[in-house]
Amino acid sequence: MNFNSLLKKLMNKPGSKTIAKKRLQFALLTDKLEIKTDTLADLQRDLVDVISRYFEIDKQSMKIDIQRSEEHSALIFNTPIIAAHRRREIPAT
Amino acid sequence: MDGKVIVVTSGKGGVGKTTITASIGAALALQGKRVVVVDMDIGLRNLDVVMGLENRIVFNIVDIIKNRCKIKQAAIKDRRIDNLFLIPASQSDDKDAIKPENMVWLANKLRKEFDITLLDCPAGIEQGFRNSVVAADEALVVCTPEVSSVRDADRIIGLLYAQSISPKLIVNRIVPKMVENGDMLSHEDVVDVLSIDLIGLIEMDDRVVVSANTGMPLVLQEDSKAGKAMQRIAMRLDGHPDLPIENPMIQKGFWKKLGSKFSRKN
Repeated sequence: MNFNSLLKKLMNKPGSKTIAKKRLQFALLTDKLEIKTDTLADLQRDLVDVISRYFEIDKQSMKIDIQRSEEHSALIFNTPIIAAHRRREIPAT
Repeated sequence: MDGKVIVVTSGKGGVGKTTITASIGAALALQGKRVVVVDMDIGLRNLDVVMGLENRIVFNIVDIIKNRCKIKQAAIKDRRIDNLFLIPASQSDDKDAIKPENMVWLANKLRKEFDITLLDCPAGIEQGFRNSVVAADEALVVCTPEVSSVRDADRIIGLLYAQSISPKLIVNRIVPKMVENGDMLSHEDVVDVLSIDLIGLIEMDDRVVVSANTGMPLVLQEDSKAGKAMQRIAMRLDGHPDLPIENPMIQKGFWKKLGSKFSRKN
């Protein structure tokens, strides 16, 4: 053990590997939250199908997105409602 | 009985896949198995030079697939180690010259001829990777104790699981001194992050460069720690799965050893 590492140990300073491990664990976590563009498009299509049974929605101006921050990530789905279908108008599933 | 096909992969390039494939192949052959190592990196072949067989290439893997030669004609026999063969990659063909179904066909042929087939997978997750994985029964994932390498290994492990293969991990280029000083991820850290089974730890070893320079197999070099580690991995692959995994340690001199006996443990 050389002088520098001895000093580091005496000062109880963690080595750079502690940082490496933390960064790695965080990177793997965010990597796994990432999804394919196709998946998002498929989800949007399915959501439109389901919501259209209950509401008339503006398909053009609707948006789906994933928001990530350091603490959490969220699926944001935003659509203007034009009208609600009356109950008897709900098409059969 | 049919032989088995093992893919050596990593995701990231430059972590030692080719050296490890060549060395484990040589070690398995020395243990008496009939072994073929296959270079899957079409267009960027390298396994031939690492093994010192580059001057003897006549046919390559694409020639076999395109039916321009027999497997026996393309497989180069290593003259220093009995029962070790190399099927080189093609240097001139395109990456997509081989399709997954071609590899399944070839792997079935090789299972009949050889006890163990080792596939040296190219870096990345494209065609070469897919071709290698589709033909494999087992997988070895190589990583070094670096953030970028471990991250890529994690991705590769996920892709292997998706193909119903449970890979084993090799941590390569460990520098014990740096691990002790807390400046390098230890193999425990790597296993903790990746949560897969370990099959070997390889220490950083200058002999690897010398071996690649001369084309002399690492496992034939008496004084190579890395070579010894690869021989032990080969034993674990072939009948001794419970052979203990040695943790690379700092080689201490007599006086240092004596010193550490008297110094306070921390």
